[in-house]
Amino acid sequence: MINGKIRTGVAGLDRMLHGGLVPHRPYIVSGPPGSGKTVLSMQFLLEGVQGGERCLFVALEEPPNEIKANMRPFKWPVDDIEMLDANSDIRRFEPTPVIEISTEVEPMRMREVGERIRKTPDFESHEVTVHSLQQLLKNLFIKRRYERVVVDSMTALRYFCMREFEETLTTQSFMRFLAESKVTSLLTVELPEEGEVPPEAFLARGEVRLHKLRDDTGIKRFISIEKYKGSSHDEFVYPFEIHQGGIVVQVGDGGKSPAAAG
Amino acid sequence: MDRVSTGVAGLDAMLGGGLIPGRPYVVSGPTGSGKTILAMHFLAAGLARGEPGLMVTLDEPPNEVKANVVAFGWNLDRLKLLDATPDIKAHKRQRSVIDVGTTMDVRDMDQVGEIRQSSQIRAMEVSVHGVQKMLKQEFFQRLEKTRERYRRIVIDSLTALKMFTMQGEDSRIMIQSFLRFLSELEATSIIVSERLNPGILETEFFLGRGEIRFHKALDGNVIRRAVSIEKFRGSRFDDRIRPMTISSAGITVDPQGAVTMSGGRLARLGEAYLEQRMSEEVTNVIEGVLKMIEDAHKFRLSVSDVEHAISRAMLYLQRRNYQKALKAALHAQSILRERMDHARQGLPGLPPPPPAVAPPPPGVKR
Repeated sequence: MINGKIRTGVAGLDRMLHGGLVPHRPYIVSGPPGSGKTVLSMQFLLEGVQGGERCLFVALEEPPNEIKANMRPFKWPVDDIEMLDANSDIRRFEPTPVIEISTEVEPMRMREVGERIRKTPDFESHEVTVHSLQQLLKNLFIKRRYERVVVDSMTALRYFCMREFEETLTTQSFMRFLAESKVTSLLTVELPEEGEVPPEAFLARGEVRLHKLRDDTGIKRFISIEKYKGSSHDEFVYPFEIHQGGIVVQVGDGGKSPAAAG
Repeated sequence: MDRVSTGVAGLDAMLGGGLIPGRPYVVSGPTGSGKTILAMHFLAAGLARGEPGLMVTLDEPPNEVKANVVAFGWNLDRLKLLDATPDIKAHKRQRSVIDVGTTMDVRDMDQVGEIRQSSQIRAMEVSVHGVQKMLKQEFFQRLEKTRERYRRIVIDSLTALKMFTMQGEDSRIMIQSFLRFLSELEATSIIVSERLNPGILETEFFLGRGEIRFHKALDGNVIRRAVSIEKFRGSRFDDRIRPMTISSAGITVDPQGAVTMSGGRLARLGEAYLEQRMSEEVTNVIEGVLKMIEDAHKFRLSVSDVEHAISRAMLYLQRRNYQKALKAALHAQSILRERMDHARQGLPGLPPPPPAVAPPPPGVKR
């Protein structure tokens, strides 16, 4: 820990954040699809479990079996990261009982995540609402002390779990809940390729943004700190690459960063 | 890891071998860029390896789909087509619930004849839910009858499906559920979708596990075609835009070729981002200065020159001349900072403003 901050798991990003993240607050990681948000947040949790912390990944976009398969090429020791499958089941249109996620689902360790997708049961289906998810997390946070939590993604939460809620207010209250729970959380936000930044970005204490640009030589990735309350930070936009060992930010001083030795 | 061939060798090379099985992918691009042809390549490659394929067609009736691919000379006789094109709108009062209907109709490609006549008896609604129901029925009937699972599924197109989505349905949730449904079938699926507005993040583009994007540009009087991979979860991929052609052999991608997209929409994408970034930066500086000006007023400092500078910066910003705007704003910031520092050193006596800079008449600006 440097002056009370915790490390993100990406050395170059820590340098941009002047040491890391102020703990117990929610932060946004935003970027267009395919920019590296999930990889970054997995590195954040990996840093935690390697330091003996309890870490939780809340999956709202992809089934856990796929996330596990996608992370395999990095060869990270992710076995102890806990995974909460918050993907809604296939929606039914016949009147079948809808089971709230808070009554049924428990996180499992990454090592227990199976190879195949969980199937929607025949006579009931899970529906994840922001309310039930918050309730579930609340109970979990009492039972187990999580230090780091990733919600992947807030966009999925807003798109699929807030049917009868006012979106901005509900998002705000969800983030407030995370802040009060004393966990350090990374919330991913999908950005459109052009146009306006979605409301989630304004509500967090800090925002790390990933950018994807195309030129003749392919996709170029950049990272910037858009906002970081309560701390100084780097104002510049740095290029980064996704290597075998994960995200490597090319921060200026001292040439190339030695990178996270996986 | 196993890979599923797209049927286009050059594209497979870009994908590092092919698609990851059992996941849904999006194929996007403007009309006439080759989306449906790629879907056909994908299905034909499956059939050639004995993998059953199903095409759900919403854009064109099956007879047209068939006519369009005859030229390529592929053997698609065993391809199943699920016709979900809408029937002629029924105006009868008793059927008023269903605005756009269709009939459950799956047949082999070689059985496709004339256009299906609108059903007089039973219409199924064309909606995400309706199509999902038909697909499910077909999938499990096939499994029961022949013990074969469909390995490859194509939805052509989701754009059409969305347009028919019934009012009151939340299309984002419907699509999420539909993609979940496709995942649970454990078939590799291709979803054809047109990106209508790049400013709106549509569900399938971030839930899809990858996106293959076609590009089409007019160069003089030649159509230039290209393809790129925008996203591919769980795999490395070639991130360049590669040239492609459509000929009687179908799509050919040159995985080594280079495309120079000069001035096209793609090149501008980066500019839009930089512009946003710059304007944000300038706005931040201006806001900071405005706040300091308020403080300066409390100290009864003369700041009208700073106000001039900052209003000039705002003018530049309005004209999108970001460099000049930033320069003016930073200039205002540095004068003001210096003056504030001076004032603070003199605390708490609050000396009158230093007469260093020519004191202009009281601020005219708001």
